[in-house]
Amino acid sequence: MAVTRYTKVAYKDADELIFGRAQHPVSYGFGIKVGAGRVIPELNYAPRPGTERDVEKFRREYVDYICKDALDRAITAGMPDLQMETEWVSQMNQKKLAVPVVSGQAEICEKYHEEYGINTAMRQTIPDQREADHGLRPGMDKKFSYPEKLIECAEMACENGAHVFSVESMGGKELADNAVTQGDIVSFLFGVGYLGSIDMTYIWQQFVDICKKNKVTPGGDTNCSGANTSMFMAGGFLDNDVQRTFSAITRAIASARTLCAWECGATGPDKDCGYEGPICKAVAGKPTAQEGKNCQCAHCDLQGNLMASTCDLWSNESVEYHPEFGGSSVACWLGSLGYEVALMNTSIQLGQDKTLRDLYMYTDRTRGPEGYILAYDHAFMIGKAIAEHGNDLYLRSKAAGETAAKIILDGYNSKELPLTKKQLEVLQECQKQMAALPDNEAKFVEYCTKLYKDVPAFNIKNYGL
Amino acid sequence: MLSSKGVDFSKILRRYDVDQQVAATPQEMAKEMLPHDPVFKKVAEEVLYMRFKTVGPVVNEALKEKKPLDVINEGLVAGMEIVAKLYAEHVYYLPEIMLAAKTMEIGIALAEKKLEGGKMKAKATVIMHAAEGDPHDIGKNIAAIMTKAAGYDVIDMGRDVPVTEVIAKTVEVKPLFVSGTALMTTTMSAFPRIAAGFMAKGMNIPFMGCGGAVNREYANSYDLGIYSDKAAQTPPIADKILAGYDWKKVREEWDNIVRGD
Repeated sequence: MAVTRYTKVAYKDADELIFGRAQHPVSYGFGIKVGAGRVIPELNYAPRPGTERDVEKFRREYVDYICKDALDRAITAGMPDLQMETEWVSQMNQKKLAVPVVSGQAEICEKYHEEYGINTAMRQTIPDQREADHGLRPGMDKKFSYPEKLIECAEMACENGAHVFSVESMGGKELADNAVTQGDIVSFLFGVGYLGSIDMTYIWQQFVDICKKNKVTPGGDTNCSGANTSMFMAGGFLDNDVQRTFSAITRAIASARTLCAWECGATGPDKDCGYEGPICKAVAGKPTAQEGKNCQCAHCDLQGNLMASTCDLWSNESVEYHPEFGGSSVACWLGSLGYEVALMNTSIQLGQDKTLRDLYMYTDRTRGPEGYILAYDHAFMIGKAIAEHGNDLYLRSKAAGETAAKIILDGYNSKELPLTKKQLEVLQECQKQMAALPDNEAKFVEYCTKLYKDVPAFNIKNYGL
Repeated sequence: MLSSKGVDFSKILRRYDVDQQVAATPQEMAKEMLPHDPVFKKVAEEVLYMRFKTVGPVVNEALKEKKPLDVINEGLVAGMEIVAKLYAEHVYYLPEIMLAAKTMEIGIALAEKKLEGGKMKAKATVIMHAAEGDPHDIGKNIAAIMTKAAGYDVIDMGRDVPVTEVIAKTVEVKPLFVSGTALMTTTMSAFPRIAAGFMAKGMNIPFMGCGGAVNREYANSYDLGIYSDKAAQTPPIADKILAGYDWKKVREEWDNIVRGD
């Protein structure tokens, strides 16, 4: 599959970026149309512990309980669309566990579509279990064969009923972990921005081929293991692990990497937990799944409203299946998603969508650096910086990071975005480190390969270099 | 874009991080906590300010006039204790903890070379791992560094570790406790199997369940199971087990322990 890098952004100006509409809408499943003028709820869930021990119990958990509960609630509440996402647990790398779930979920989607006319689809998100110390590419991992299993999982998903396909790939994780724990932005730029982009390009060319062969929509990826780890560790106002200025810059860098799936031919929607979605959408015009205020079952963030402002699918991230007063957890959280989506879609019908978008955006704009850079005007600026260096994986990641840092500093200087002393100090240190980096890819790789040679599990051969 | 002119965002949601930030610098806060002895003070400052490139010469200089064990305890460890206090006060953050711990380790390794017997005696040995099938190990890695920095010998078995290997290692080492981390609901189900394996071998060793998917209720749902919500809670729990708390008492006292009582 050919790779076409983005060298210009999809929109004329930031004001065109809005929820429910993408330049390149996508249709799949049983009537689902994403980015075509209506926001769709996407429900994600996790099975109860222990269910994985029995094949039939496992299938029942996913199909007869989780999906059926969700579909019943969607009908009960009058929702016109429902996309569900199964993020595969690690045990699903075995055919006996994966196939009955994937095919069963496709069947129940079809059944409800036929019976009630609800538009339905399944996203199957396979696990990337590859470990850098054992090898990321086929033939390297003699212990677990995880690189081979990654491709096998993609085939299992696509051959058995996935409507849209995704993965949360792990390339560059060893350096991202180093970056987050040491506060080292260069390590993140090298691991996620550069090596992660190489890895994504490598695996997504194969995934797109598998999807095409099986007429499955190749959705997209996310830097869950990097930028999300950074964001979660930065946490809320009572947390004290990572500075939010640092996590915001990692998010911008991650967006240059997440784009690679789309550059390999994936069509979107990308993954909800990639908070880099607004930036990626600004560059590519492809639909994006997002999460925020209605994913409090999974985590707290500081931009729960703002993230809705440019989404096409609106997700709850994930909830463990269990009973609540109002029904099972999946039914309850779908209810919460459904109301939010109905609000967005009402605003579209009334021609008030830009007003609602701005309300979402302003609510969280100044709550922290991460929300600030993901506000649609800023996301657009970062997207432009990436596209200006679109053909150079290093320079575009660096441009994303530097542009985000400048946006934050400008916001602070203009008194729009308050920062703590420490957040400012870390921001300026990141700027200093990025500014001191070499101006071309070869020198950057040489510099970082030496600098990070002792990082546990780092092996440049994992990236074909 | 709507105009935000005149909007008071603080009336919508508050920036507690900005409102509550500590005004004092690390230097000001550490002033009263540093050792009085000038040699130990210099060593402690190397750790406090994360000078991993210069801690070597400073420790070697200190070793010329001080006993190795004293350089470790009254210099390096004392410095790390201040770092932990600054972390608790939200003046220092995770990167400072990691870099200070790295600095301390470099210093300890040098001091140990002069130590009779060759190695400082750890408080106890603990085993850590990420659950079978689970590649997410950043929380475990941070907990391992914090626990080492608190004086424990940590055997880090890595990630995606089979239940049988955890049990076998525990039989071999007989650690103070074992921890497992999991980010998936279906990988944390390894924990009760590990705990059951311990009991089948007659080992009354606490098993600490941690990680994004794990909650206190789950970790306490099987015999031997105890919980740690955050990496920084692991050392105080370890100290209580070392002081004689069994898994039942850790559960009973958990709120007090993690509060620092």
